[in-house]
Amino acid sequence: MVYIPRMTTLAPGVAAEFRAILGDDRVLDGSTERIIYARDGSIADGSCGVALLCETTAEVSACMGVAHRRGLPVVPRGSGTGLCGGAVPLDDAVVLSVARMRRVLEIDPAVPCAWVEPGVLNLDLTAAVTHLGLHYAPDPSSQAACSIGGNVATNAGGPHCLASGVTVQHVLGVEIVLPDGEVLAIGGPAPDPPGYDLRGFIVGGEGTLGVVTKACVRLTPNPPAVKTMLFDFASTRAAGTCVVDVIARGVVPAAMELMDSRMIEACEGFTGAGLPLDAAAVLLVEVDGTPADVEAQTGIAVDVARASGTRDVRIAADEAERALLWKARKSAFGAVARVAPNYYLHDCVVPRTRLVEILDAIAAIAARHDLLVMNVFHAGDGNLHPLIAFDRRDAAQVERVMAAGRDIVEACIAVGGVLTGEHGIGLEKRDYMGLSFGELDLDAQARARRAFDPAGRMNPRKVLPVTSRCGEAILDENSLPPGTWV
Amino acid sequence: MDASTTSGGARWLPGAPAPAEDDIVKCVACGLCLPHCPTFRLTGRETAAPRGRVAAMRAVQEGRAGVDGAFAAMMDECLACRACETACPSGVPYGRMIEAARAQVEVTRPVRVRGLRGLALGQVMSRTWAMRAMAVGLGVTQALRIDRLLPERMTAGAPRVSLPRLARRMPVRLGSGPVAAVLRGCVMDVAFRPVQEATMRAVAACGHTAVMPDGGCCGALAAHYGHPQAARRMARARIAEFEALGAEAVVVNSAGCSAHMKQWGHLLADDPAWAGRAHAMAARVRDVLELDVPSEATTTRPVAVHDACHHVNGQGIRAETRRMVAASGARPVEIPDDGRCCGAAGMYSVLQPEMSAELRLSKARAIAASGADTVACANPGCAAQIAAGLREIGADVDVRHPVELLRPRERT
Repeated sequence: MVYIPRMTTLAPGVAAEFRAILGDDRVLDGSTERIIYARDGSIADGSCGVALLCETTAEVSACMGVAHRRGLPVVPRGSGTGLCGGAVPLDDAVVLSVARMRRVLEIDPAVPCAWVEPGVLNLDLTAAVTHLGLHYAPDPSSQAACSIGGNVATNAGGPHCLASGVTVQHVLGVEIVLPDGEVLAIGGPAPDPPGYDLRGFIVGGEGTLGVVTKACVRLTPNPPAVKTMLFDFASTRAAGTCVVDVIARGVVPAAMELMDSRMIEACEGFTGAGLPLDAAAVLLVEVDGTPADVEAQTGIAVDVARASGTRDVRIAADEAERALLWKARKSAFGAVARVAPNYYLHDCVVPRTRLVEILDAIAAIAARHDLLVMNVFHAGDGNLHPLIAFDRRDAAQVERVMAAGRDIVEACIAVGGVLTGEHGIGLEKRDYMGLSFGELDLDAQARARRAFDPAGRMNPRKVLPVTSRCGEAILDENSLPPGTWV
Repeated sequence: MDASTTSGGARWLPGAPAPAEDDIVKCVACGLCLPHCPTFRLTGRETAAPRGRVAAMRAVQEGRAGVDGAFAAMMDECLACRACETACPSGVPYGRMIEAARAQVEVTRPVRVRGLRGLALGQVMSRTWAMRAMAVGLGVTQALRIDRLLPERMTAGAPRVSLPRLARRMPVRLGSGPVAAVLRGCVMDVAFRPVQEATMRAVAACGHTAVMPDGGCCGALAAHYGHPQAARRMARARIAEFEALGAEAVVVNSAGCSAHMKQWGHLLADDPAWAGRAHAMAARVRDVLELDVPSEATTTRPVAVHDACHHVNGQGIRAETRRMVAASGARPVEIPDDGRCCGAAGMYSVLQPEMSAELRLSKARAIAASGADTVACANPGCAAQIAAGLREIGADVDVRHPVELLRPRERT
């Protein structure tokens, strides 16, 4: 299957209007440029009318004004590392990139917090405050590449969100440009801003409400002590039991990640971190706090691991070893390419007490569809990432992948899970929304969205199902929006 | 599905190698390369990022785009520093993909431009006498300061040529023991004579007879700039020469060359008469940094360490650079910029002067901020670029190859 972008370029004069604001170099409307901006980190492909590289709030506002007058759809884009197609433009939409808005504007070590532009990369923000003994807590696996703007849009999570909470717990305020170009400031460093608290609505808005042009983010003091452990298990079941029992003993580790044997093999191939290649599963557990606290937590975690039947306990001896173990974990998605050229995954969340049974169910689904599935996920909060490895050039295999994806989502919902833990709904899970919400719920969400975007121009046809055919797979060919392929 | 969906064949041009489909599909578009790409860092533009360039290659492969001006501009803008390759968890072999993409682009250039580039990369560089003649010309213009009449953008990255050094005779055989060939090279031969001599001494100190044959260029630049035919010709000539010497090892003191020569097996894989010989010779190639040279301490001062991209990314040489600096007694100091490319990148400083100048200045400022009065740099392009940058910001920092810092002694 090959996708040819539709050649319905924007109306004459539109690019010229954008060029009057941004200059020639920052308005990209060549055919190859449009092909490149039609994708993000997901497997969906859309069609981009023009890509804009804005540098200031004023430029964003002026460009949004043009789109408003012309009635053009707009898709905001950060680093484009998202996995659910949130930054994939449909119908020749305008892609508004904030990748050049990457200044850390102000650091207040007293709160502590920082005002940053949306293009600042997650890990660059931490690097900018390291000298103050601070860091930005949410740490998606793509943290070296993903932007704060994208993190805010998807309400991103990460391994360390088990104890510290996801993005919404770390955003104190935002500046947002509304679809008509109006600039709005919401919240700020004050603990309880007056009026309705809209921050929780904007965070996770997935680009459907406006373009966030500044964020005030909470910074977190670096823990005085940290310890990272690797437990090696002969069965996934034993690893799953260990996760439940550690937390049941009152220890909430900073992070608790599970990798299964196929994932271990792929990650080890890239990093050479010394992961045990004969293990059925490993748990990467990190505890932090005061030195005494860390000792106590480590003792309990190791006790529980032994009781659950761990074959080996490895404790990182120094910062270098700790960094290597985390590199192995955070390279997981890319490392899958060593097995097959593409991957597909859902980041459903299930109650952690149901982990063992859902892992068995996922294995059975993969076997039924004759597919290879690899697991690496935030076990502590039950946030799954079953990666199905495949080759998109094989159309029959792609069909089986989509069917298996749907079965996995349904299995998760059936044990009391939710659709997504951190990646967002985007395009990929849009038509699954009906599995979690009734008509009334969806209608209420659509109205809240319209309060910000009455004309429905912001990231159109994302997040909420377009038709009443809820529950139908987005990647089923019949319900594919025109201009999309997988 | 849309009616516009059709299947189309790849639109690569005949007459030049093309990026392999199996390499292209390895990219899962995760974006982890973005922060490591110097041109993406400067522009924030996806078309200046490895992921975007691979997407452009994919578009040609799938028949959705051609090898046109836009494609050429994107490939030309790449430094080919291969930092993305090191960062890539999927193992996308970007280095050989960009080389092939550039060979494609070269086919589209006007005959005159292509001919001129072919002449410079394939004919001039491969002839030692021609390089020397050029160097004398450059040295004279620099001595008479005529070069200052040319636009800054053309001269900033050019190495300084010393005429007296060029006239002096070089030792071409030194030491005793099994023979190790030392690559004479092209630019190194005319502009970095002290490094050549220091390399000979280092090889001899390691218990080898260091022999420098007459032949020049290894073909790296020709390969990087879309002239694989010329690169293969030069590789064959060098291999035959090293074989005739009975060389047990081939020692190279320029990062771009050692990285390229280690890939000779891949370059000549389709040439049945040479594939085996190329593979065997590539296995004998050592960058001089990889030698553990016994040395007296010559200094105790701090020396900033610049990593050439083709050391770190092509060959995984990083600790070795620091080891050699430390062997001289100096204290290796890190340059506070995450090892970003200096913008020299072969002919990049001439072909993409704006981007190159930004990278040059930021590298020079970072070196100055390190507080060291010497920077160790093991690649001729980087050395010339960094020296120019330091002159531009008025920083008094000496640029030296790590091997120059050594005072080799006999191994006991």
